[in-house]
Amino acid sequence: MNTTEPVEARDLGQAGEDEQYVTFFIKNEIYGVPVMKVQEIIGMTKITAMPNSLPFMKGVIDLRGAVVPVIDLRLKFEMEQAEYNSFTVIIIVEVKDRLVGMIVDSVSDVLSIPVHSIQETPSFSAKINTEYMQGIGQKDDTLVIILDVDRILTTAEFEIINEDHDGE
Amino acid sequence: MSESAIKEVFISEAKEIIEKLESDLVQLEENEGDQEIVNRIFRSFHTLKGSSGIVGLTSIYNFSHKLENLLDRVRSGDIAVDNSLIDLILGSIDWIRDELFTEKADTDESKSAMNALQQRILEYTGEEKAVEAGEEEETGRAKPKAGVYNYFRIKARFADDVFETGIDPLMIIEDLLTVGTLLTKNVDREQLPALDAMNPERCYLSWDLIIKTLEPVDKINDVFMFVRDRNSITIEDVTASFSGRGRELPQEKRIGEILLEKGIISEAELDAVLKYHDSHKTKIGDIIVKKGLASEKDVKDALEEQEKLKKKIELNTVRVDTNRLDNILNLLGEIVIGQSSLNRIADELDDDKDTGFQLKNALYGLDRITREFQEQIMSIRMIPIGPSFEQFRRFVRDSAHERGKDIKLVIEGGDTELDKTVIEKISDPLKHMIRNAIDHGIEVPEEREAAGKAAAGLVTLRAYHQEGNVFIEVLDDGRGVNLAKVRSRAVERGLLKEDEEASRERLLSYLFHPGFSTADRVDDLSGRGVGMDVVKTNIEELRGTVELKSEEGKGTTIRIKLPLTLAIIDGMLVSIGRNIYIIPLLSIVESMQPKQEDVKTVEGKGEMISFRGEFVSLARLYDLFEIDARHKNPWEGLVIVVESANTRIGLLVDDLLGQQQIVIKSLDNYITRSRSISGAAILGDGKVALIVDIHGLVEDIMDINSAR
Repeated sequence: MNTTEPVEARDLGQAGEDEQYVTFFIKNEIYGVPVMKVQEIIGMTKITAMPNSLPFMKGVIDLRGAVVPVIDLRLKFEMEQAEYNSFTVIIIVEVKDRLVGMIVDSVSDVLSIPVHSIQETPSFSAKINTEYMQGIGQKDDTLVIILDVDRILTTAEFEIINEDHDGE
Repeated sequence: MSESAIKEVFISEAKEIIEKLESDLVQLEENEGDQEIVNRIFRSFHTLKGSSGIVGLTSIYNFSHKLENLLDRVRSGDIAVDNSLIDLILGSIDWIRDELFTEKADTDESKSAMNALQQRILEYTGEEKAVEAGEEEETGRAKPKAGVYNYFRIKARFADDVFETGIDPLMIIEDLLTVGTLLTKNVDREQLPALDAMNPERCYLSWDLIIKTLEPVDKINDVFMFVRDRNSITIEDVTASFSGRGRELPQEKRIGEILLEKGIISEAELDAVLKYHDSHKTKIGDIIVKKGLASEKDVKDALEEQEKLKKKIELNTVRVDTNRLDNILNLLGEIVIGQSSLNRIADELDDDKDTGFQLKNALYGLDRITREFQEQIMSIRMIPIGPSFEQFRRFVRDSAHERGKDIKLVIEGGDTELDKTVIEKISDPLKHMIRNAIDHGIEVPEEREAAGKAAAGLVTLRAYHQEGNVFIEVLDDGRGVNLAKVRSRAVERGLLKEDEEASRERLLSYLFHPGFSTADRVDDLSGRGVGMDVVKTNIEELRGTVELKSEEGKGTTIRIKLPLTLAIIDGMLVSIGRNIYIIPLLSIVESMQPKQEDVKTVEGKGEMISFRGEFVSLARLYDLFEIDARHKNPWEGLVIVVESANTRIGLLVDDLLGQQQIVIKSLDNYITRSRSISGAAILGDGKVALIVDIHGLVEDIMDINSAR
């Protein structure tokens, strides 16, 4: 998919400014989501599994009285599943007024990344899903893959609807 | 209140008035002579006029004023009620509605529409356009001779809190000026306090006005119709002192008029009484009784009638944004969750120790109060379904006319109350079903007569409570569903094999199949089904069920079953392996532990359990939900027999954990595609338990079976 527009034009503000990102690890890669999208980060907790759901939909958790769905980003990105350990966290992000938890290997840091250093998602030669990516940011020598959280959710919805149709 | 807030209140009020008007008008069409309905319509327009004036919508104000004039003539019997009159008024309502709620307001299109309507109104009232500006022709029932002016002295003493009732005295006075010309005005400033003591929300002024008009006193009364109760308004006919001749009955002496109309006293007698009244200033009723002209009872009756005319409206209500109620309900939900976690702690405490026992007792009391609290809040959210039924009168009338059918809408159980959100959400499905009944159910008059039925078809909307549920039925006495056609259609779509046996229920259930319906509109399958799958989905979102019964030639009944409330249910907690699921208590018939010999298999796979002489099929929940269970044999675990839309199934679970009030949290549809889960609830220990949707479960099982 190459619908990605120039990043600056979208929601990252003017050149010369810094944007803050919560960064986290999946495998050995560093990902980031805009800090404004993140409501909180919680440790791994008991997840109630949902029957008949997509593989990456791990289930729902209780977040102080709200029932929040949790997806495993490793499974969403079609990587192999990892054992959850004491580093595993759930990043709660707000997408279109709804909360969603994302399970990631471990949380890293909040980084200020200069907006001008963020590149459009390059086209990869290998078959890589770029549809959830907003761009690639750089801070010193670190490469941060910036995720478009809105998209992660919409594709999740899209998939389940599609599957339903395939099933009929 | 800010200006926009006032406007909001007005808009929502206007919406209600318009809906009521439409229903009243359609009823008037059916009961042409009903004076009560005419009065209601008149009052509605009057309110609409007044309120639109207050919020400054002058075009609506002026327009409804003309309609009011028209209706006044209807009220007095000058103009007969017929279809074209009803059409005109309905058309006018449509214009007002467009003006209020759509983008069309104030466009040229809307203006020309208004002019066309006004022209038709004027044709009825026989007024010339020019009259508007100056004096209007006499329209009232008392009919003074043309060209003869009446003079009225009006003393208007408004209560100081008059603004709070939404009435601006100035509007009333301006209103009055449309009836006649003001001769003298006297503003009484006596009550006006010093500036620093003045409350801007109070009315301190009173007016003495004398107006000259061609209209009879009733017209003047109408102006003050809504303010008479709470404010002191006296209207005196002073024509005599202006023209030397006084014949009109002053309004204050209206009780005499009532008695006169009833023929209890004669005009001459009344004149004598009035003369006596003028000189003695005692109550007219008393004079009449004293003079032996009428019995005390007659006077009392007349007084009551007078009272009725005033139509006392108690203003003891508060308008509350439903969002606020929702917030309260959410908070209550949190309380219920907190309470259940306290309960869990109490359960772990030792009963023998005082504190454990005391805590449990206290919680018991608290539980009672929260339940009561919940019921109270729910009852606030409950509103009668009547108004939303009524709004279909117009719809039925118009669509029936369009199709050349004669259809009467019967409404039963309009006072049945249900949750406001539910009412809002069933409006569209209801419309769908009614449209189906009109389009496909009810036949054209000739066909009906040929079949020996009355020419006019009946569509009935009925609501009632039963066993903690609300039932809503849409009935028609039309031709019913043609099962043979449904069958051939089902075969065509590959839902049924050519030679397959299908029960009546099964055939009817195809009407709810997505896509089944839309296609049959083209070849005009005689039954139902246009968008019935949408109806079903909508109702199921409300945790309700839809059922269709039909008898060929006799009609069709669609029955909707809805829960009373949406947010909190009583649930049974069951465990399966390490998971907890919640089964709505209302769906549970019984739980039991079957004996091994009670479990039979059909063709080696379909399992049945003997339950009170009948066999119910067994569903292994752990299988369906793909989880582990402790007991895989029905005779080791527990079987809960549940019921959904006349289907009973047994659910195999490990154990019952107890029943509890459950606050339902809905789940976004991308989380699971399973129809068996309707939501989730948070338990006292912070665990999330999934709520089993019995109806969806039965469907899921049927799908699995048919896929095999």
